[in-house]
Amino acid sequence: MLLDWKMKITQMPVYLQVNNTRSEDSASAELQIGTALPFPGGRSCDDYLFYKFASMLALVLALFPFVLPVKQVLAQSVAFAIEEIAPGNYVHYGSYADRSPQNFGDNANVGFIVGDTCVLVFDSGGSFAVGQALRNAIRSVTDKPVCYVVISHVHPDHFFGTAAFLAEEPEIIGHENLPLQLAARGRHYEMTLARDLGDASEGSRIVLPTKTLAAGTTMTVALGGRDVEIRAWAPAHTDNDLSVIDLSTSTLWLGDLLFVDHTPILDSNITGFLAVMKELRELHIRHYIPGHGRSDLPWPQVMDPQQRYFELILTETRQAIRDNVRLMDAVNQIGYSQAQNWVNFETYHRRNVTTAYTELEWE
Amino acid sequence: MKLRTTLFSALFLGLYVTAHANPNPEPDHTKIPEWAVIKDLMFGDRVINPDDREVIRVYLNTRADDAATVPVMINGLIDQSPTDYIKTMYVIVDRNPIPTAGIFRFTPDSGRVKMETRLRFEQYSFVRAVAELNDGRLYMSQRWVKAAGGCSAPMGKNVAADSMGKMRFRVDDQVEYDKPMLIELQVRHPNESALASDLDPDHVPQFVRNVNVDYNGDPVMSGEVNYSLSDNPVFRFYFVPRAEGDLNVKVEDTHDSVYTQSMRVSEEDGVAAQ
Repeated sequence: MLLDWKMKITQMPVYLQVNNTRSEDSASAELQIGTALPFPGGRSCDDYLFYKFASMLALVLALFPFVLPVKQVLAQSVAFAIEEIAPGNYVHYGSYADRSPQNFGDNANVGFIVGDTCVLVFDSGGSFAVGQALRNAIRSVTDKPVCYVVISHVHPDHFFGTAAFLAEEPEIIGHENLPLQLAARGRHYEMTLARDLGDASEGSRIVLPTKTLAAGTTMTVALGGRDVEIRAWAPAHTDNDLSVIDLSTSTLWLGDLLFVDHTPILDSNITGFLAVMKELRELHIRHYIPGHGRSDLPWPQVMDPQQRYFELILTETRQAIRDNVRLMDAVNQIGYSQAQNWVNFETYHRRNVTTAYTELEWE
Repeated sequence: MKLRTTLFSALFLGLYVTAHANPNPEPDHTKIPEWAVIKDLMFGDRVINPDDREVIRVYLNTRADDAATVPVMINGLIDQSPTDYIKTMYVIVDRNPIPTAGIFRFTPDSGRVKMETRLRFEQYSFVRAVAELNDGRLYMSQRWVKAAGGCSAPMGKNVAADSMGKMRFRVDDQVEYDKPMLIELQVRHPNESALASDLDPDHVPQFVRNVNVDYNGDPVMSGEVNYSLSDNPVFRFYFVPRAEGDLNVKVEDTHDSVYTQSMRVSEEDGVAAQ
């Protein structure tokens, strides 16, 4: 999840297609809104000239709300590429950029599973606009109704698009701890979404689950021709994490139980997160979708970097507590050997250490 | 046409960048409307020596990464002598629902005035420390904190009922009589925020409102606090053991629960929780 979003314009070009991509001469380039570039990934950020140029265009694009009616901008700007990662399993990869009016909070990976009678949506995106774009993407693939929307956890980049599906009256499935967390954090999430997205947040709102699952339990739903297992976990990334397995293709939708390239985020319990990861590794699956980042590496080795990251934080934080290093100093000392391995490390790492420290000091 | 478009774009780019370059610069701490009200209510027309970092100083990391857990250290920089000492330290977060995060009282026997704790920030705000000396003079210093949502965030670490109010001490140094000794007190408590609204409207948020510390009956430090403190509140402060004795802590919360814990202190045997 992405809680803290200063404008980082240099990471925004996902929504821009630039015909003359390597030129700095902005007057000669054409800008097309509404077509996605291939996902740039974290590592292409060193392509400085391209990003500098694209960020200029992003700024120009940022002025569009002043001259076009908002609705029109919404329709034009939410570019939405989907990939069929396994038969009937479609994923849209979110952006690493901080959320902004330009990207509509399209930060988390979201997607859907299509059965013979029903569609299941796994996470609805960071705004109503993203939810709508996801729904349009579903309609481009199938006319089967959306019977289920699974909310993987309480973070706003994963659920604010749910309202876009209400017309289809789906069962909205969340962890048993989700309603309480939404009640507690919802006001703040709505306020900051409006602050960061402005008019682009229009229509986004908190939607409570219609069905909840207790930690440690599973539930199987039939989509017609394929069954899908939904599992509620003990506290890990948050205290309300759900995962989904499409049993017919062995495809695991992890939500933020797995980060690839993007700094993993800890919002609940580091020992719990490591325990859940150990369980996840045992699953024999053929395909997986992380909450952030791509699905290119083999399973379960794709979990190794995240596991090393949290194991390092665990070890170093325990040592810092033994050495009576205060929290204020610990956040500046722990885990920095990992800094080069992750996107957005500066934004999230110290908060992870804070969460780990305040948990482990009571061991 | 091309050129005009370019110039036009450049102009607006310039405006855009200017307007968005630093959307939340540090404001002038003397011109905060909330502070004007707080100052009036708490100190009336008394003079507060502003920005006096020779008497009291606020330390924190420039970046606040978790608005629900912002470590803050406030040090008094004058010696606590029987004739000249900091009597009260007010810790104020201008824009929190309850701006007075803590009122801590000290004595000459505190040795040195220090309070390290962790605060919640609901909005970008100054945190101010006002020191009141025994003769009534007031000194203040402040730091700007960019963190928001800390009071709305619920407690992630659900405190089991059987560990509620459990306390721990952490001590760095050997015990030496008549020498200020730094001690950390940790309290297991959710310190529920009134803003982290429960689904149950009748629920009274349960947070710590008082902490009292004495040594063999003589006051060392006391604090009136609230949910501006993070969950599992932590207090790090000094006291001076003059002889073997017991450090006694009493914590009260808004549900009128009272928790106590003592620690035996001696040069021979060090410290031991009791």
